[in-house]
Amino acid sequence: MIALADRVAAIALSEPRRIALVQGAQRIDYGTFVDAARRFAGFLRAAGCRPGDRVALIVPNRIEAAIAWYGAWIAGAAVVPLNAQARARDFAPWLRHADVRVLVHEAAGRDAIAAAAELSEPPLRVVLDAAAGEGANGDGAVGWTQALESAPLESEPVDPSALAAILYTSGTTGAPKGVMLSHANFAANVEAIVAYLALTGEDSIVSILPFYYSYGASVLHTHLAVGARLVIEPNLVFPHLIVETLARERVSGFSGVPSTYALLLDRVPLANYDLGALRYLTQAGGAMAPALAARLRAALPGTALYVMYGQTEATARLTYLPPDRLDDKPGSAGIAIPGVRIAIRDEAGQPLPPGADGEVWAQGPGVMRGYWNDPEASAAVLQDGWLRTGDLGRLDADGFLFLAGRRSDMIKTGAHRVHPLDVEEAIAELAEVAEVAVVGVDDATLGQAIKAVIVPAAGAAPDADRVKAHCRARLAAYKIPKQVQFVAALPKTASGKIRRALLTEPAAAQEAS
Amino acid sequence: MDHRQQVRQFVLKNFLFTDDANALADGDSLIGNGIVDSTGILELIGFLEETHGIRIAPEEMVPANFDSIDAISAFLARRLAA
Repeated sequence: MIALADRVAAIALSEPRRIALVQGAQRIDYGTFVDAARRFAGFLRAAGCRPGDRVALIVPNRIEAAIAWYGAWIAGAAVVPLNAQARARDFAPWLRHADVRVLVHEAAGRDAIAAAAELSEPPLRVVLDAAAGEGANGDGAVGWTQALESAPLESEPVDPSALAAILYTSGTTGAPKGVMLSHANFAANVEAIVAYLALTGEDSIVSILPFYYSYGASVLHTHLAVGARLVIEPNLVFPHLIVETLARERVSGFSGVPSTYALLLDRVPLANYDLGALRYLTQAGGAMAPALAARLRAALPGTALYVMYGQTEATARLTYLPPDRLDDKPGSAGIAIPGVRIAIRDEAGQPLPPGADGEVWAQGPGVMRGYWNDPEASAAVLQDGWLRTGDLGRLDADGFLFLAGRRSDMIKTGAHRVHPLDVEEAIAELAEVAEVAVVGVDDATLGQAIKAVIVPAAGAAPDADRVKAHCRARLAAYKIPKQVQFVAALPKTASGKIRRALLTEPAAAQEAS
Repeated sequence: MDHRQQVRQFVLKNFLFTDDANALADGDSLIGNGIVDSTGILELIGFLEETHGIRIAPEEMVPANFDSIDAISAFLARRLAA
């Protein structure tokens, strides 16, 4: 195994002037990138961060996020990339659970600062965009620029099985679930993706997917591993600006979730742009409707579309559909990537024949070591060397996977996964709420939109705006319900379990969104 | 009510779900703070077009014109003076 940090260091050595990352007017080459990462590693080591310690990032996509990630790896630390859109309410349990030693955040990150202050042993904070002299006044924080003045740390041998990262999947505040990935996990998953996408140093990609999600992380790592160029774009608020960047930078690749492509197709006249350099598109993060895939291919006939499927618990990728099979296998998530095996099993874990619906199990070198400090949750999904994905589907006679939803109630909205309980907990904090259930309802653009169904407390008359305002204060913006409905009672089974499927049907007359 | 106040109230009501004027400063980044997202921007632009009887061109849809109450006010002032 060649650790990813070593692959990138090798490129810096052979082609130091090759451009690694672009963000607005900033361009950083591999030589400068690796030097900065080594300096951050030197800072970490000097600050007492030992191999195996956790370094958390609360940073949106920007060049420094990638430098901090690779710097932590060079120092032998495990990276904990936290969802930068989350709030203090989420950050504090994650930081505590991962027992974080160093936290990198932006100066404007009030929630990050507040969460760190809540801990009995607050992490050392490294502050991006810090004002000159900040951190010198005894509050314990260090400015990023100051940290990068440290002497560079040379690469040290990497133990393939050592912890490389903990990725927190959407979970509830009470029980954070941190996926433990090793250096071998990352190296193997990156190698497989590079192979099927045929990535080389001549490639370049516009990235809008957050590095703190497994999909966005894999876009970052696969491209850096081959010496490609990654162009960071902050968000999809102005989709035409993304397409302008695709054309201006003449990139060869772009990655998105289904809603990304729906937005681009609906809002931007793609034919007006020269996208002739675009060689590949990748899609993951939920099933893409065959009709949307067809529209996308019609709009970009010269570009190969890779439909893919995976899970954070498998580093990122498990299957891909070769672009030349889109026509004869519409709707399929494809075949196992190199090194991975996919099986369909019944509730008891017994293998099912082709064509039968069951749970998707996966085996391969990208499968996680387990959940951080949670042997029970780990044992529930890691069985006999296989990962139970919790996804439902079937394999056809040719071994192509067709997915059919999830066993869990996880909501997929845009690029995000939202656990209903997380939103329910926040709404239940309101005194005027007696009971609440949160579900995903069909949405033309987002795939699913979040809907909260609330039973008001006796004598209370809650209003939808107050519920949404409370969610805005307590939750990441994408978790705020788009619809709020008040009902007299929630539909339940005889055993008292909420019948969520009934709540996903179109809202009735009492709708108050 | 002046343009600034109108835009403020729209943003407070539709994206922050509140009447509390202190919830947002005129210079705060609407995009950076996750207040306006890819669907919110369409609501905002629809509101401005309808209220002022203007048509906002794609090349005007850039963060410099829409990232804060200040930026939107300045953009409106330029467009309505033209």
